[in-house]
Amino acid sequence: MPRQIAIYGKGGIGKSSTASNVAAACADEGYRVTIIGCDPKSDSSITLLNGRRIPTIMDLMRQGVDIKEDDIVFNGYKGVKCVEIGGPEPGIGCAGRGIIVAINLLRKLSKALEEADLVIYDVPGDIVCGGFVAPVKKGLVSETYVLTSGEYMPLYAANNICKGLSRLDVKFSGVICNSRGAPNEENIVNEFAKEIGSQLLAFIPKDVIVQNCEREGYSVIEKAPDSGIADVYRKLARRIMADKETHIPKSLDDARLRELTQI
Amino acid sequence: MPVIQKEPMILHPRPSSIVAALYTLRDLETDVVILHGPPGCSFKHARLLEEDGMRVVTTSLDESGFVFGGMDALVNVLETVIERFNPKRIGIVGTCASMIIGEELHEAVNRVQPDVPVIEVEVHAGYRDNTQGVIIALESALAAGIIDEAEFERQKILLKEATMVEKRHGAASKDYLEPSRGDLKYKVAERIIQLLKEGKRGINILNAKKETAYMFADINLAVVQVAEKLGVGSNIVNMANLDEKLGLPKTRRDARNINEDLKGLGIEMHHIIGGLDEYPIAGNNVNELIAEKYSDFDFAVITGVPHALPMDNIKDMELFSITNGPRQVAPLKDMGHDHVVVELDLHPKTLGVNHIVESELGATLREMVKDA
Ligand SMILES: Nc1ncnc2c1ncn2[C@@H]1O[C@H](COP(=O)(O)OP(=O)(O)OP(=O)(O)O)[C@@H](O)[C@H]1O
Ligand code: SF4
Ligand SMILES: [Mg+2]
Repeated sequence: MPRQIAIYGKGGIGKSSTASNVAAACADEGYRVTIIGCDPKSDSSITLLNGRRIPTIMDLMRQGVDIKEDDIVFNGYKGVKCVEIGGPEPGIGCAGRGIIVAINLLRKLSKALEEADLVIYDVPGDIVCGGFVAPVKKGLVSETYVLTSGEYMPLYAANNICKGLSRLDVKFSGVICNSRGAPNEENIVNEFAKEIGSQLLAFIPKDVIVQNCEREGYSVIEKAPDSGIADVYRKLARRIMADKETHIPKSLDDARLRELTQI
Repeated sequence: MPVIQKEPMILHPRPSSIVAALYTLRDLETDVVILHGPPGCSFKHARLLEEDGMRVVTTSLDESGFVFGGMDALVNVLETVIERFNPKRIGIVGTCASMIIGEELHEAVNRVQPDVPVIEVEVHAGYRDNTQGVIIALESALAAGIIDEAEFERQKILLKEATMVEKRHGAASKDYLEPSRGDLKYKVAERIIQLLKEGKRGINILNAKKETAYMFADINLAVVQVAEKLGVGSNIVNMANLDEKLGLPKTRRDARNINEDLKGLGIEMHHIIGGLDEYPIAGNNVNELIAEKYSDFDFAVITGVPHALPMDNIKDMELFSITNGPRQVAPLKDMGHDHVVVELDLHPKTLGVNHIVESELGATLREMVKDA
């Protein structure tokens, strides 16, 4: 049974960068990794594929072609299996239903969800409807992480996500801080993690290397393996693979959140 | 990448996969089915199925259910149903509305933990072939241990064949099919009687889908009775897909009931050509039997799903076909069936019964030889 994880967090906070760097770091350690991009933007795997955009399941479904595993599962950095679900054009149809249909199809066509040591679901920032938690509700995600910075709004989103996750009855494994350079950030997120009954797993500094590598189509692990931030991702990856501890997160009230982020 | 050959356009509403799932649950002897969806969904069939002793209830999702989800409603209905009806087997069936918004039927089962088996059917009405609804229902029944792998595989083959039959010559053969009332019953009855009087020999075939056989069998019965009355009973050979050992529980029971009725009336069944769910393939047996023994017969009366019979060995006979689909008339005529009779509204009359039900053509035939 692979570890099946999803990283949640406010839109734009760095979920996809974190997911792909963790995937690459785990692949370096010899783990079989699968990454499933559940975002209609389909930007989860680009940096594992040297900047290449792969066809999404939704693209192929729209064309009405007969879909086979090879058409939707692609080998990226060190054999990381990459799948992008994609979605309808913005403002048309129902992206949530798209995820449900695509996940069902993927389960039927491919063993990539089972024959792996780690499966990462990269979800969009906003869980706008039922479809976006289909992997969780269908029992395909067994552990969740929350990514946040120390600022009020990302923490507010993280807090809301914790609320949602406790309702969904899915295990919670910890908080990851992706720094935006706010003052006292590590302490704030550490405190938040404690108060929701969890733990801070990593503090990822803000580093322009992430964006530079991304622009060229690579993960930090691949393009700048000797950088300090690559080390941070590697440590996080090891921690994820080693940790078995999970909890049901509590959530804080808004007043406490504001207080916590007071500088 | 091979592009799937584009399927023909569907212009005409088609039988619903949700409804197909409901009928399958009935055949699996489910006591109560919960439709997780809007109150109007599948209304007519839900009511009809209650005639057959299976309760069908709804979570009646409304606008706010579409927006906020309906899990609480489903849990509530599931608990209510258990308390009120004390079912031994429950079905939960999805609908377009609940499936689009991503409702997990299993979540409700997890929350309620009923101590009777629950068959969860994640289905909507958006499939081209309604047999998809049957397959999904059977998959869940298999998962719940209610049917075995062998029966599941058998059903899957039959369903594939059924879909092919409809594509070839049935409801899925054209994008739009004009309804027709078919030929006048008394004219057709007159012609059958005339052939019998002339001493012509006929094959009397029941190839019906499940419970519809309760009424179609009445026509085959009438043909025998009329022939006997005219003193030419031995000119008729009877074949029927009434194997009592094949199919889901209700299907077998139906076959047994009809056989008993026929036996009680002294009808001799010469050939059993399959089970009541084997109408898509039983025609192959008919085809062989005719080639072996009856190729020189003059006419054939075929009730139920006549368009599933291969034309190879019957094309030179005068064909009398009885269907319950007004939209089946044109395809049957195109195939070369000479006389096509429609028993309108047959299906509803065959729900909730366990004896042969009188048909219009049967009654007409009997009436016309009453004084002979
Ligand atoms: N530690 C970091 N240092 C510097 N830049 C970062 C860091 N983490 C992420 N970024 C950058 O932030 C931007 C947003 O990141 P990313 O796309 O991973 O966010 P996301 O949470 O997946 O967004 P969305 O919710 O839209 O999917 C990217 O350009 C990424 O390179
Ligand atoms: S659209 Fe689907 S859910 Fe709505 S009534 Fe029709 S079959 Fe039922
Ligand atoms: Mg992202």
